[in-house]
Amino acid sequence: MFSHGMLRAGVVLALGCLILMAAWSQEAPVLVAAPAVTINTNIDDPKEPLKDSLSERGSHNFSDMGSWIWETNTYDRQTVRFWRSFEIPAGATVSRARLRITADNEYILHLDGRELGRDAEWRHLYEYDITSLLEPGQHVLAVEAYNSSREAGFMFGMQVGLASGRVLKIKSDSSWLIVPEDVPGWENKTEPADSWRPATVENAFGLGPWGVMDYIDLVPPMQPTFIPFWQTTWFQVLILSVCGIVCLVSFSLATQLLLQKKEKQLLLHERARIARDIHDDIGTRVTQLVLQGEVAQSELPCGSKTRARLEQISEEAREVLLAMDEILWAINPRRDTLHEFSTFVCGHAQTFLKATPIQCVLDVESGMSAEAFDLPFRRSLLMAVKEALNNAAKHSGATELLLKIHRRGTGLIVAVQDNGKGFDPLQVKAERNGLANMNQRLTEVGGSCRVTSQPGKGCRVEFNIPFVQMRRQGWWSNWRSSRRYARPSPSQPATRNL
Amino acid sequence: MSKPAKDSHPVKFSTKSPLKIALVEDQPKVRDNWNQLINSFPDLSCVCLCKTGEEALRLIPEARPDAVLMDIFLPRMSGIECTSRLKALMPEVRIIILTAMNDEELVFMALEAGADGYLLKRTKPADLRMALLDVLTGGAPMTSEIARRVVESFRLKAKTRDESLRLSAREEQILLLLAKGHSNKMIADNLEISVDTVCHHLKHVFEKMHVSSRTEAVVRYMASKKPADS
Repeated sequence: MFSHGMLRAGVVLALGCLILMAAWSQEAPVLVAAPAVTINTNIDDPKEPLKDSLSERGSHNFSDMGSWIWETNTYDRQTVRFWRSFEIPAGATVSRARLRITADNEYILHLDGRELGRDAEWRHLYEYDITSLLEPGQHVLAVEAYNSSREAGFMFGMQVGLASGRVLKIKSDSSWLIVPEDVPGWENKTEPADSWRPATVENAFGLGPWGVMDYIDLVPPMQPTFIPFWQTTWFQVLILSVCGIVCLVSFSLATQLLLQKKEKQLLLHERARIARDIHDDIGTRVTQLVLQGEVAQSELPCGSKTRARLEQISEEAREVLLAMDEILWAINPRRDTLHEFSTFVCGHAQTFLKATPIQCVLDVESGMSAEAFDLPFRRSLLMAVKEALNNAAKHSGATELLLKIHRRGTGLIVAVQDNGKGFDPLQVKAERNGLANMNQRLTEVGGSCRVTSQPGKGCRVEFNIPFVQMRRQGWWSNWRSSRRYARPSPSQPATRNL
Repeated sequence: MSKPAKDSHPVKFSTKSPLKIALVEDQPKVRDNWNQLINSFPDLSCVCLCKTGEEALRLIPEARPDAVLMDIFLPRMSGIECTSRLKALMPEVRIIILTAMNDEELVFMALEAGADGYLLKRTKPADLRMALLDVLTGGAPMTSEIARRVVESFRLKAKTRDESLRLSAREEQILLLLAKGHSNKMIADNLEISVDTVCHHLKHVFEKMHVSSRTEAVVRYMASKKPADS
């Protein structure tokens, strides 16, 4: 069915995705900032010349720091966005890059559109190591600063040491531009707009209301980290959706199977009900008819004409019941087993041959108890066996007939063998003795029929139904066949299989 | 074991007193018809008509018939259960199961429960009379399918049954020949014994079936409901 192909394709697709992503993840590191913050001690008076912040982390040398800058107007609960771009020369290698930042009252620092950190204490200076983040090319610094009340300012200083010995310095000064509030995605912008005005310088470092910072907080260096592809969001979303699709497909398949099973159950139920109805209603009434006829006969004198006619009626009614026995046997789902089949066929053969001079001998394999033998098979096979028995009774002139039912390897074999006069199969027209009929019945259900006979040596008719055929038709393509039953095509008379 | 009671009814079918038959059938029309048909034979007489299995258990022990015709489908208590209980009350009575349709599975269950034979309801009255007389002389009819089932059932239960309740080699041989479709006459010829001997063996088989089923049934039914003691 289509579902298998779909499942297989799904698995292949998922595997392909995995391999692709494994390869891709080797080239695409994802950055994460380590959150820990170390706090430096109070600043003492310098006694010897201090190393600058580029060569020493948490250095007390503040020569790299810029001025306090802000917008021209200062007011409470004010947000100001500072923007500046810079360039690492092509071919240069960054050996070390550090920046220090603080704001009164809060800041959020972005580099190339990605947030590096945020804090809210103007008495502290925050030092970031961004060595591994800077590659040659243009970079954008974007700082969102917030003033909760009164004085406001933003302070910044960055040194980038290149392998060539050159040092790039960027400080907070009027080269920073102030981005208006209504610019969406401003921290990602690589080019400034004309409307962006330069920041206003308020005081140099150490001056104004702020003085020199008491503490330097060292933000742990930013490190590029490889996130394994299976931890990335998009992969997890993908896997989840693949799982979801697989689940959906399996679910729909399961429902389909369940529906089929239910359908079949319903069919069996319905068959059982019909069988019960026929048995309880019609069977009982016709039986009653037979008895009534017999009673009526017994009330009439022997030899009366009416009595003979009544007897005829009773006899007819008995035959109706006999025919009904067979119909009931066919309909009743309880009879869908090999054992029930052989029982019925044997019973039929014995009853049928009782009226003939032929002695019926049975040879039935034991232990065929509950194996499934669905309606179309047992019905067709019964019809074929009946045909064979009929032939034997009519034409063979035999004294003994052997009915053999057994399993051979992959199939069920039913053989009808007589010790009659036999015939030459080549000289007998197939249509005449029902051989074609038997053949057709068997081929309809995927079986075969073989007739072997020689003049004077009896006749053997062997029917063979492979179990594979039974099983496949039994349940795997059941829904298809049930459709066929529901809407029979003109070429396939449904009544025959019923 | 199944020894008949002291004053058991002697089985005779050619004397002046007709054989007493009880009928258990829930459908009034069928019951009446059977009653009339049975009474139309001078050597048979219907002495007890019961509508249900419960009624049968109450009335039949008093009526003391020679044979009971028991419908297999009865409301509430089935004919099979009624057979089993009745046999426990009066082991000497012969019970023949009546079925509307040929269902050998049910028939076998009835035979296991203690029935002595079975008849289709549509059987001709003359055949009914013959079958009744056959059963009363102990020669219960056995089809090849029933014979096969009997053999299977005995084999299945062989381990749990004691020695006296297993089939003898000869009995199994006869049953297997029956299962092959041989008639009693053919079996007699085949085994070089008389037909009477074959019948005798079959009678034994039925007795073993009844005895073992009775002990099982008693255990089964005592648990649910204690039958009234006679």
